[in-house]
Amino acid sequence: MKITNGKDFWAGLMFVAFGVAFMLVSRNYAMGTSVRMGPAYFPTMLGGLLAVLGGVVLFRAFVTRTQNPLRVFPFVLWRVIAGLALGVFAYYTQPSHDANIVWEIGHALVAGLSVGLIFAAFGERSLWVILFSVVIFGYVLKPLGLVAAVVLLVVISAWGGHEFKWKEVTILSVSLAIFAVLAFVKGLGLPMNVWPSLWE
Amino acid sequence: MESLFANLALGFGVALSIQNLLYCLLGVLLGTLIGVLPGIGPVATIAMLLPVTFTLNPTSALIMLAGIYYGAQYGGSTTAILVNIPGESSSVVTCLDGYQMARQGRAGPALGIAAIGSFFAGCVATVIIALFAPPLAEVALKFGPAEYFSLMVLGLIAATVLAHGSLIKAIAMVLLGLLLGLVGTDVNSGVARFSFGVSELSDGIGFVSVAMGVFGFAEIIANLEQKEKREIFTKKVSNLLPSLQDFKDSWASILRGTALGSFLGILPGGGALLASFAAYTLEKKVSKNSANFGKGAIQGVAAPESANNAGAQTSFIPLLTLGIPSNPVMALMIGAMMIQGIAPGPQVMTERPQLFWGMIASMWVGNLMLVILNLPLIGMWIKLLMVPYRILYPSILVFCCIGVYSISNSPFDVMQTAAFGVVGYIFVKLECEPAPLILGFILGPLMEENLRRAMLLSRGDALVFFQRPISLTMLVIAGILLAIVLAPAVRKKREEAFVEA
Repeated sequence: MKITNGKDFWAGLMFVAFGVAFMLVSRNYAMGTSVRMGPAYFPTMLGGLLAVLGGVVLFRAFVTRTQNPLRVFPFVLWRVIAGLALGVFAYYTQPSHDANIVWEIGHALVAGLSVGLIFAAFGERSLWVILFSVVIFGYVLKPLGLVAAVVLLVVISAWGGHEFKWKEVTILSVSLAIFAVLAFVKGLGLPMNVWPSLWE
Repeated sequence: MESLFANLALGFGVALSIQNLLYCLLGVLLGTLIGVLPGIGPVATIAMLLPVTFTLNPTSALIMLAGIYYGAQYGGSTTAILVNIPGESSSVVTCLDGYQMARQGRAGPALGIAAIGSFFAGCVATVIIALFAPPLAEVALKFGPAEYFSLMVLGLIAATVLAHGSLIKAIAMVLLGLLLGLVGTDVNSGVARFSFGVSELSDGIGFVSVAMGVFGFAEIIANLEQKEKREIFTKKVSNLLPSLQDFKDSWASILRGTALGSFLGILPGGGALLASFAAYTLEKKVSKNSANFGKGAIQGVAAPESANNAGAQTSFIPLLTLGIPSNPVMALMIGAMMIQGIAPGPQVMTERPQLFWGMIASMWVGNLMLVILNLPLIGMWIKLLMVPYRILYPSILVFCCIGVYSISNSPFDVMQTAAFGVVGYIFVKLECEPAPLILGFILGPLMEENLRRAMLLSRGDALVFFQRPISLTMLVIAGILLAIVLAPAVRKKREEAFVEA
């Protein structure tokens, strides 16, 4: 048996994994009867169906004439494992609300590294740089304010593209920051800090 | 008939209020803008703007969002004709002849006929909605849970049949979407399902996060992987009005495109994309001028452009009457309605006639705005086309991120969206269409609810779905659709059709 269609192989595996996972987690909930369906009834049904269809896709990967390499996208396994490990570590060492700022920053760095590693496992630079810039934005918006968050988002995401011109990126980030403040905070009245919260 | 005019009068009264006119204008302008810009579609834009619509009243919000969708169909053709890149997936076929016309120095007439065809189609589609929606809604009011469940099965099956790529994968994506839609608190038992103790997940996975991650972010990332190359015809756009000969050549195509597009838009799974492809294929078959297709035939621009606009609008019929989305944009519209506290379904028409008829009337108003605005504004759109993608995508990201963050003012939604960005990227790489997933996602809870009710009423007898005539009919149609597509001959044709496209 040889895998001819790598894309189907991974897609099939993915569907089987999702189907089985939903079925397994559903076992924690009440099944009920067909008259009075419990919370587990419908997801178990769907999960089973998904796993079966995933199996068909998986099987097709071996018999089809469509040729696709098994290596669909660059994937680095150790980054996922390291990222997940750091993530678990970060989850169990969450600082309490009154923890000091050094501890909080340290924790944020570890959590950020964990997320970054998981994204970076997929190798493609545009993917992980873009998503990482988005995550950074989400985390710095409250402590550092909208202006800093937009500038960081633009600079980091621009770095994920083909060309990076400092002058252009600077102008773009400043003008987008001004526009965001005017449109979203002044115009639509979204409750966001404009400047770092320490200043205000 | 009389009530139709009374209803339309009510609708125009709503649509012509200053406030709604402004939101309609904003919607069509935004729609044209994102239609012109390649690399961002109406799905991502509507997802981006959903949080903003919290602050508007429901009618204005829906009028604006609808404007984005059909505005995008207009804008998409401009890019297709001038740059040979479909600004919108539904204008892929417009590239074929539109770009050739531009190369022959006839960009103006191509743009003109596209706008005129779209306007005509928009007018016809508005009338069709006004005529067909009320009777359909009346039928739908008689639906019980069994009928609703079967209808959703039919809708989802039809959506997978019309999706391109592998059928099994599309169905698997629907199932995955249904499952993801079930995450969160179960209404009947109050159990928080699949939330793993994360309190944010007990309200369910955010719809905006899924849509924006899978469509928006994944799209940007995929665009960044390929180098951009553009050749724009800008100097020769003069004299937008097509000649008399052009009109003579294309009026029949516009009629055929409108008819076909209106019909395909109503079908579950249909919409602008399918309509434009089908119209081009049909036109190529029936036109006397078929040898000229692909070399700048004006019919090859007129037919698909009319069809995609007609299809975009009639796809509102299943949404407004049955509460069933036929494509991802309609799924987002349902999301917008639910955010506003409106349960989508046939009762919308009777309970909120102002919203229903106001929206329909606004479509005609919006189309008129588009044709008036678009022709003189074309110079501005062309300038926008010169903006390189490396400036565009960080700007898009900024809007997406602020929009997502503002849903609940916490980083959680942003993280969730990023996670779905990864998922969407994997889907793209594994050739799994995300559209069926999003339909499943929105229908998941509804389907479970109706399945439960139907089974409760029938005392656990699953045969109820086959005993009630309407329900049976829909399941049979779904079965036939599946059987047809799985038949080897059709399967081959279908694959060819999508490859050609």
